Amino acid sequence: MRITFRATMSRKRALLFAIPAVLLLGISGLLKATQPAATQWPPQFLGTFGFSVVLPLTALIIGTSVLGAEIDDGSVIHLLATPVRRSTVIFSKFAVAVGLTIAFAAVPELLAGLIATGGGKLAVGIFAGAVAAAVIYNAIFVMVSVLTTRAIAVGLLYLVVWEGLLVNLVSGASELSAGQYSLGIANAIAGNPNLNAHLSLTTAVIMGAIVTAVTLLLAVRALSAFSLKGDAA
Amino acid sequence: MTAIELRNVSRWYGNVVAVNDITMTIGPGVTGLLGPNGAGKSTLLHMMAGFLEPSRGELTVGGRPSWRNPEIFRVLGLVPERDSVYSFLTGADFVRATARLHGLPDPDGAARQAIGIVELADAQDRRISTYSKGMRQRIKVAAALVHDPAVLLLDEPFNGMDPRQRLQMMDLLDALAHRGRAILFSSHILEEVERISGTIQVIVGGRLAASGDFRAIRRLMTSRPHVFLVRSSDDRLLGSALIGRPAVNGVELTPRGLQVRAADYGAFTRELAGLTRQQGIRLRELLPADESLESVFAYLIAS
Amino acid sequence: MSADSAEARFGAAPRSAGGVIHDIGYRRYEGERLSRGRIVLALCWHSLRSAFGIGRGIKAKIVPVLTFAIMCLPAAVDAVIVARTGTRQVSYDTYVPILRILVMTVFLAAQAPELVSRDLRSHVLPLYFARPISRLDYPLAKLTAFVLACLAMIEIPLLILYLGTIAQAHGGSAIWAQTRALIPGLLVGLMWSVLLASIAIAIASLTGRRAYATGGIAIFFLLTFTLARILVHVATQSAVVGPGPGPAGPKGGGPGGPPGGGSVPAHLIAPAVPAAAHLYALISPFTVLDGVRQWLGGTNPSGIQPGGIANPGSYGPLFGVMLLVFLGASLAILVSRYRKVGIA
Repeated sequence: MRITFRATMSRKRALLFAIPAVLLLGISGLLKATQPAATQWPPQFLGTFGFSVVLPLTALIIGTSVLGAEIDDGSVIHLLATPVRRSTVIFSKFAVAVGLTIAFAAVPELLAGLIATGGGKLAVGIFAGAVAAAVIYNAIFVMVSVLTTRAIAVGLLYLVVWEGLLVNLVSGASELSAGQYSLGIANAIAGNPNLNAHLSLTTAVIMGAIVTAVTLLLAVRALSAFSLKGDAA
Repeated sequence: MTAIELRNVSRWYGNVVAVNDITMTIGPGVTGLLGPNGAGKSTLLHMMAGFLEPSRGELTVGGRPSWRNPEIFRVLGLVPERDSVYSFLTGADFVRATARLHGLPDPDGAARQAIGIVELADAQDRRISTYSKGMRQRIKVAAALVHDPAVLLLDEPFNGMDPRQRLQMMDLLDALAHRGRAILFSSHILEEVERISGTIQVIVGGRLAASGDFRAIRRLMTSRPHVFLVRSSDDRLLGSALIGRPAVNGVELTPRGLQVRAADYGAFTRELAGLTRQQGIRLRELLPADESLESVFAYLIAS
Repeated sequence: MSADSAEARFGAAPRSAGGVIHDIGYRRYEGERLSRGRIVLALCWHSLRSAFGIGRGIKAKIVPVLTFAIMCLPAAVDAVIVARTGTRQVSYDTYVPILRILVMTVFLAAQAPELVSRDLRSHVLPLYFARPISRLDYPLAKLTAFVLACLAMIEIPLLILYLGTIAQAHGGSAIWAQTRALIPGLLVGLMWSVLLASIAIAIASLTGRRAYATGGIAIFFLLTFTLARILVHVATQSAVVGPGPGPAGPKGGGPGGPPGGGSVPAHLIAPAVPAAAHLYALISPFTVLDGVRQWLGGTNPSGIQPGGIANPGSYGPLFGVMLLVFLGASLAILVSRYRKVGIA
């Protein structure tokens, strides 16, 4: 679909802010390099950190900018002034975001996991969880970027407060946490208690799918009703 | 013929009414949407393009409402005001991508044609970031034309253009209109509108203050006398002769000449020639002092 | 037609060789002009307001208000707990470190761009500098404003805690004890505010797009912190025999607070904290702050808090130096950024 082509072309400029993502990648790699020094160090614990920090952050940056940057500088109107269906717009932007996130965060996770454990269920599990996380998080962030111009700030707030604090404190919140969904999926494959996943595979998959679908739908609706915050003239 | 129809369209933001009960029809040809800044021109254009929902009233393009209806863009092209184009793309890429987004069967050909119309063929392979402002406007027009729409909306197209570019754009719009398209452009610069459009829609404070041919509008306002500036060989004598005529409301001697207020424009012009010959005065210059759009405009605002 | 009617419009100008300046009643401003200090003050005040979204729409207030509320929450809760049971969960020094770190990160990332990046984006800097202020005044004012904003975020919860506690306290000595405990806490908060605000503003001043600034700040703080924690933990683990507990992470994974399970908790073992652990802690402003706090006499009341580090011991001064390095670098960035004011 040509839109994806278009959205990908936007990436040329977006390479500027893929740099944080690259940074994340680099740091993951660096972490792995220090590994030989610590023989006692449990790799899965690193996996959760990389998983729970690097991944959401990358998804945040990519997901909010894939549509948000165009909305911010107004060039989205050229996209919207065409008969292309809004759902197509959202889905293709979403697809690009997921692809990029996978490339810049999930794959490094996999590589890191492989280096750390030399293959095995943990690495694969983490990768699967990372892909799921890429999907779910990006859906959320794309939706947020349609709804507000300060999408990154709001997304950050969500990540820190909801995923970071509440989930740890309030047990019921696990059902509604994107982080938990992806951890659940990872855990199902890796079976590692240190991942701190509270959800079963079925719950995680179902809830994750629901959240993804709902947020994307909301995004499409919001885009159809997109009003220009224009200058008064 | 696709036309834009507005019926009792209003749009408000909380307490602020941006567009107030406007009813009008935009048909083929060039129409100028005129009004000071803040009058609601952009709001109106955005509503026509389906980017704003009218708070009240009906707005249709070619019979279908434009809100939540991206299909409208098959017959409508929009040239937005904000100078926000994907600057890292080349002109040709941009138009071609737009063509593809419209789902045209031959995007490259359509793009080439559109670029040819705006005469940017020699710059099309350069990045848009290297374009001058006028060129950027034109590439936006090309993108809006690529699918050969029946309706073209331009938001402040002449903003920031130098006179030569403005003339080029005006000729372009004229040529487009001649093929039966409906072209609506907004401006707050009067001499632009004056020069190219026959029809104007004047928006002041969100309301439609006047619509139609501007000269005709002017004449409709017979409540205000026309003012002429006359220069002759003997102004004073002419003045005294004129004041005796019923068509004349007042005369004033000014350093520039004789200022005549005529209640009956037609009668005055008819009588002037005879009068001067009778009195033996040579008429040097006769100017309508407020025929320009600006005085129309100012008058509308003042009222 | 045009030429003559133009004349008719602009009023009679005698056709003389020179020009004529019309007196249309233009009046100069002869009144008082406030000093440069006042300008800086005004800029500061205005920035402070925008740091909390005051004077702008609802959407601008969401993040600051929410983060502020969350910051105050433990204080309110703890005050109630103290009233009921008399024991305190939260100390003045450290408050709830993890909460502070996370919430402040969000506040910094969301609001620093509001102060600084917006001006850059709308290219209004030449307007500011066409006033009798020096190049340094602008960043200084912005920085001061943001430091004050961070102070509000950090100190007000402490004050709430304090007031809540002394409301229940009996006798002057108890109140005095509370006050004595509060003061160092306030000072720690001051340290936090100055350092964090400087770094955040410095990063934000590098770009005019708020999204990039927010992302940059978030990444800087979160990554350095996470990295530091991991590395410290790794280094510590390798010095301790036996599997270590999964430490609390800023997001998801790992149990919070004291570890459960049967293995010997690392922090209760005699602290054989290797040098590497200390050095790794220098990466992140948050851990540096905690190190300086302890070097200056602070303690870890209930073991190493999930946001803090072990006592740096002899490495203390190094932490102090690092603090200054962070501060200096931020100020240097700011100064050089605003030295050249073009159409940035």
